[in-house]
Parts: sequence; C-alpha cells; structure tokens
Amino acid sequence: MYQASHLSYRVREKILLHDVSLAIVPGQFTAVVGPNGAGKSTLLKTMALEHSGYHGDIVINGKAAKAYSSRELSFVRAVLPQNTTVQFAFTVEQIVALGRHGYRSSRKENEAIVDEVMALTGTDVFRARSYLTLSGGEKQRVQLARVLVQVWEETLYPRYVLLDEPTSSLDIAQQQYIFSLAKKICERNIGVMAIVHDLNQAVLFADHLYFLREGKLVASGAAQEVFTKPIIEETFCCRVNVYRDPCNNCPYVIPEREAFAPPHSLVIEK
Amino acid sequence: MNLTLATRDYRTTLILTGLSLCLIVATLFSLSVGAVSIPVKDVAVILLQKLGLFRSVTIEGMHEIVLSSIRLPRIVMTILIGASLGVSGSALQALFRNPLVEPSLIGVSGGSASAVVMVIVFGSALPLPVNGWLYHSLLQLVAFGGGMLATFIVLELSSQLGKTNIAILILTGVALNALAGAVIGLAIFYADENQLRTFTFWTLGDLGGATWEKLSFAAPLLVTACAGLLYFAPSLNLFSLGEAEAYHTGVNVESTKRRIIIFAALAVGISVSLSGIIGFVGLVVPHVIRVSFHSDNRLVLPASVLGGALLLVLADVIARTVVSPSELPIGVVTALIGAPFFIGLLMNAKRKHEL
Repeated sequence: MYQASHLSYRVREKILLHDVSLAIVPGQFTAVVGPNGAGKSTLLKTMALEHSGYHGDIVINGKAAKAYSSRELSFVRAVLPQNTTVQFAFTVEQIVALGRHGYRSSRKENEAIVDEVMALTGTDVFRARSYLTLSGGEKQRVQLARVLVQVWEETLYPRYVLLDEPTSSLDIAQQQYIFSLAKKICERNIGVMAIVHDLNQAVLFADHLYFLREGKLVASGAAQEVFTKPIIEETFCCRVNVYRDPCNNCPYVIPEREAFAPPHSLVIEK
Repeated sequence: MNLTLATRDYRTTLILTGLSLCLIVATLFSLSVGAVSIPVKDVAVILLQKLGLFRSVTIEGMHEIVLSSIRLPRIVMTILIGASLGVSGSALQALFRNPLVEPSLIGVSGGSASAVVMVIVFGSALPLPVNGWLYHSLLQLVAFGGGMLATFIVLELSSQLGKTNIAILILTGVALNALAGAVIGLAIFYADENQLRTFTFWTLGDLGGATWEKLSFAAPLLVTACAGLLYFAPSLNLFSLGEAEAYHTGVNVESTKRRIIIFAALAVGISVSLSGIIGFVGLVVPHVIRVSFHSDNRLVLPASVLGGALLLVLADVIARTVVSPSELPIGVVTALIGAPFFIGLLMNAKRKHEL
C-alpha cells in the first residue's frame, strides 16, 4: 500500500494541501478529481516526493518514503508528469528504454521488457521515429510506456504508478485506450493513482475516487458510491445532474446549461 | 530503419572507432606540418621509438627535437583541450536541456579568464613565484577556482524554488560574462607593455605555449574531468526528459547536477588556464554529433571527446599554416568555422520550430 496520511503543504502563506489522506491500493485504480487549482498536481508531486517541504507521513509498502533512496524509489513507483518536453531528437525506443535506467539488468532482459511494453501500448510501430515528430497522443503513449517499463518486472512487492492527467488534450479514443491500459496493468500487482479531468472517465475506470477542492478532501470512497450530485456540486461549485448509463452500468454526469456563478466564486475566506 | 537496441550499440562502437581513426590521422598530419616539415613516416617512427618500439632506425636529430619538445606537447594539449571543451559542452547542454548552452555561457570561461588575468597583472605585488611549475599550477588552480565561482554564482542566482530556471541562468551568464570582460579590460588597463601582449591570448586563445611542464599538472586533471563527465552519460539521458522525470527514474538529481557542473568547470577552467578562451568548440561539436548520428548521450559524450579534439587539431593546423611563419589566434579559426555553422543551426532549428 502507498499511504499518505495528513499531508499538508504550504508555500509561504499559501496553503496548497491541508490534511489530505490518500491510499493507493495495489491492484486498484484510484482517481483524484477536482477543479483547476485544487491542488491535485501538488498532491501527486508531494506523494511522488518531488519536494520535501510537506508535513504528514508517506509510507510505501510499510516503509517510510523518506527512508528510500531515489534509486530504491524508482523500483517501487513510476510517475507520469502532466507534460514532458524533450529537447533533443531521441527515438521513441530510446525514450522508452530510459525507464530501465536504475536497473542493473542485462541488455537482453531490458530489451524484452521494452519490447513487451511497446507492443502493449502500440508504440512499437513507430519505435525508430524521432520523438519530436510524434503527435500529442503518440507522445503521451510513449511517455506512458516509459513509465510502465520502470515498474513492469514482476516483483514480490507491489509497485505503483502515479499519472498526472494522462489524457489531457487527447481525443475520446486515446483517452479510452490509456485508461483501459491503466486499469489492465493493475492486474500485475500495481496500484494506479491518476489525476483525471473528465469525471465520466474517472467513475468509469476508477475503483476509488477522491474529490479535492482548495487543497482539502471533500469526499472519498468507492467510486460509484461517492459519485453523487451533491458531492460533485460541492467540489466544483457548479450545478450538475447525475444519471445512470445502463450500458456500462455506471453513473455519468451532465452539467446544467445555466451557470449560477463564475467558477470558484464560492471560495470561503479564511 | 528498424534498429534494435543491440544494433545501435554496435553502431555506437563503429562511430567512435571511425572518429578515433580520423583523430589519429589528423594528429599525424598536424605533427608533420609546420615551419619544419617532417614526413608523416618519420613522425610515426619517432612516436614508435618513444614508445620503446622500433629502435634500429635513425631519424634526423633536428626532427626529433622539434617533434618532442614543440609539436608533441602542443598536440597533446590541443587534443586534451578540444576533448574537454567538447565533452563539457555536450554535458552542459544535456544537463540544462538547452541546445544553445556552451561552457562560456554559464560563466565558466569568463570567470576563469578574469581570475587568471587578475593574478597575472596584479599578482606581481604578492610574494608569488613568477615562473616554473609552481606558478603554472597556481594559475591553473586560480583558473579553476574562478570558473567554479562564476558557475556557482550563476547557478545560485538562477535557482527558483529549488530548481534551475534556464532563462534566468542564461541571462545571468550573459551578465557575468560582461562583468568578466570588464574585469579583464580593467586588468589590461593597468597592465604593462609586456602583459598587454598576452591580451589576445586570453580573449582569442593560443595553443602556442605548450610545454611538458605545464601539462604535467593539467593533463591528469583534464583526463579526470572528461572521465567524470563520461561516467554521467546515462544519467544525462534522463535529464533530457526533465529534472523531475530524472528523479522519478532513480537519479539523485541534485548531487548528480552538482558533480557534472564541477567536472565541467574543472575541464573548462583548466583549459582556459592553458590556452585562454577558445569559443564555439563546446557549442558546435555536440550539435554536429547529434545532427549526424543521434542524441543518446552514451554516444554524444564520448563522440564529443573525439570530435572536439579532432576539430581543435584541424583548426590548429589551419591557424599555424595559413599565415606561416606567423600564427592566427586559434579562437579566430574556431569562430570563423563555428559562427556560420551556428547560424545555420539556428535557422535549421527555426524551420523545425524547435526553438
């Protein structure tokens, strides 16, 4: 389990996270939703230990996260940032293989893993192309492949993947592909946490949902149970209606046509 | 072109072997041309004799003296400096994820040169040795210190929330270089006739003053710095994705970054103390490698070592022969080749929308 308890993080006077507790369970898909500026990316970066100025505890597989070296951490968790820009003309295959950096395994083993993940993500067909020439959706799949390669090997301990809006600016088919892939890799004793912008995708794929607003948790729980009109309205300050899709046997949300206030106007003064 | 990782390793070996052969040929050629022309065959024989092989053949004594006391130290220095500038350039470009970074841009060269010039001009007031091994070692230490200091000032000023802001980095580098230029100018203002003549040395570079004495201290340091940078080639690949990504993939970002900068400052600082500022090698060589082959730093760094040495050896041949018996400043030659090439690179990047 990847457990964050009572996380708080502030930069000068600005509180970015306040008393947030979150658990990523191996074999399950955990999604974090919330309005822009709610602190979702900050939460993910804090959990990935990108900075150390937080309060609270992060425990990975029973061991305090701060006790891991960066190399040890790379064996248990991989992170897909919101966007990764590459300056130099690396080929797709070179980018994916970078995920094996920390391992001292043989070239053969590395190649086998890279090949398997590239086939799974459909990136093998353009493996020799320069990364700079790819489309947005292709780039995202290459980065996802790089992240998966890092934690692909079956181990005795569970591994984790943190995805920061893996489908932002992708079309509906690319979104579906990436989320179903993320769901599928959970079977490999991997726990997935993703920040998801599209609420309907979130409830469709996630096992657990966390609603975040202004750095605080509004609600959390089994996805279908917390995906309710009051919780969504409170999180996003926006009138919506929740229906049930009989096809997927899953709820979905449609916003009302008329906005009753500009976004974030309900900010409570501290 | 569907290359597997294995064939790419094979290609890397092939490219590096090819570059090494070019460097050997260029070196032999450079050793043979000059005021006294020595046939390449004789050069090879003398070199083999030095290595303890081939004792029987006798070579004209004059040739051997010219070669072993003038041309050999010069070529060793040229190769070491070219290699150092090339590999530091490619390492810093990868580290800062910026293809336009070169060692002088982050203040190393300016810092080194101004520190050394200060010591030369104002050092006479201090009880320092004025010549010999100790003096050269001292100058090299000062150059290294000045380069490091400038680099750390630039780094410190450009760090924002624990990360390096590249735009600020480059702008502070520009400011610090201007400051270093002013310091050099000021030192020149107070310099005497004799010191004035060394002005071109520090601004345009000069490979002329090579002696085994100078190299005995500098060569091990340059080799260490180059080897240190080569060691980090795999980590530098991850820096190309970004510092956060490098960290997530298991790189100890801050310590790696600091070590790379120290090795680069060592390589460039010592080079500057030997030959003054030689521009464009550190900028152009890594680009040629990336454009001609690929961007994997496990190729780019070693190939920049060889390519940097090759470029400087060839530029030195041109500098020595074009206006013989006089000599063009080496910086003039590298800039004459480098500047048009750099503009071409910029135009190319513009066309591809990479900037």
